[in-house]
Amino acid sequence: MSLPNEDDMSSSSDTQITSHIFGDLLDSIIVDVASECHRIAKLGLDRNFEEEEEELRLSAQARVRVADPSNSGEANSKYVVDIFGQTHPSVANEVFECMNCGRAIMAGRFAPHLEKCMGKGRKARAKVTRSSTAAQTRQSRGNPASTYSTYSNSNSTSRLSNGTSGVAGEEYSNGALEEP
Amino acid sequence: MRKSVNRPPTPDVMENQGKEPTFQELINIELIESGEKERLMELLRERLIECGWKDEMKALCRAFIKKKGRNNVTVDDLVHVITPKGRASIPDSIKAELLQRIRTFLVSAAL
Repeated sequence: MSLPNEDDMSSSSDTQITSHIFGDLLDSIIVDVASECHRIAKLGLDRNFEEEEEELRLSAQARVRVADPSNSGEANSKYVVDIFGQTHPSVANEVFECMNCGRAIMAGRFAPHLEKCMGKGRKARAKVTRSSTAAQTRQSRGNPASTYSTYSNSNSTSRLSNGTSGVAGEEYSNGALEEP
Repeated sequence: MRKSVNRPPTPDVMENQGKEPTFQELINIELIESGEKERLMELLRERLIECGWKDEMKALCRAFIKKKGRNNVTVDDLVHVITPKGRASIPDSIKAELLQRIRTFLVSAAL
């Protein structure tokens, strides 16, 4: 396609025309964006319209809290504030009754208590498997219940596969049921 | 006869025949007819979204709307709000890319 006046085209007017066309495109796009924002505003489609400032403020607050070194890690202080503003003591302090021995136990100390309370604890059992003399000592001591003597007998010949979790668990972890 | 509609008089065809279409106008027609204008606009739109320019402009609009009140704002207002900042904050790489495309088109159209 040939256009009239093409011989008149110099580089400067070329650039001028190019810039003019670019300006045209940009203006169209600007009008589009403005029209879109106008529509969203008028129709109330911007769900964050009211919340934005509040959210900005809250997120700034959260950022400050996270960056605050005094809050890092439970080890630093007993009372750490979480994102909801609640504090939890590092050891759970609800007290309830142990179903085995009937004592009042702190929740945070319940697991170690159970270890010692049922089957006389992992540490004790592990020691027993290591030496037969320890087993004899345990047997001679006289266990409070007959079931316990069963387990202490089998301890010398078998190993615990996992930690003590309860009486039923004991039987399976030993791999063999002791006949009473 | 009374006119039922107030209408400006139709421009006389004779008036325009004295003017020759400028090179600018011819190029514009060629741009539109070949579809290149549409392609360029889509390209520019895409680039401006990618670089966050559109989001910046929308934030400017929202701030202005919040200040002035949702129901008192016209599209014209928003255009005036965005235009100076919008024209100035175009990244150079995008501007260069578009100018290059336009120049290429000019060369090919003029041949």
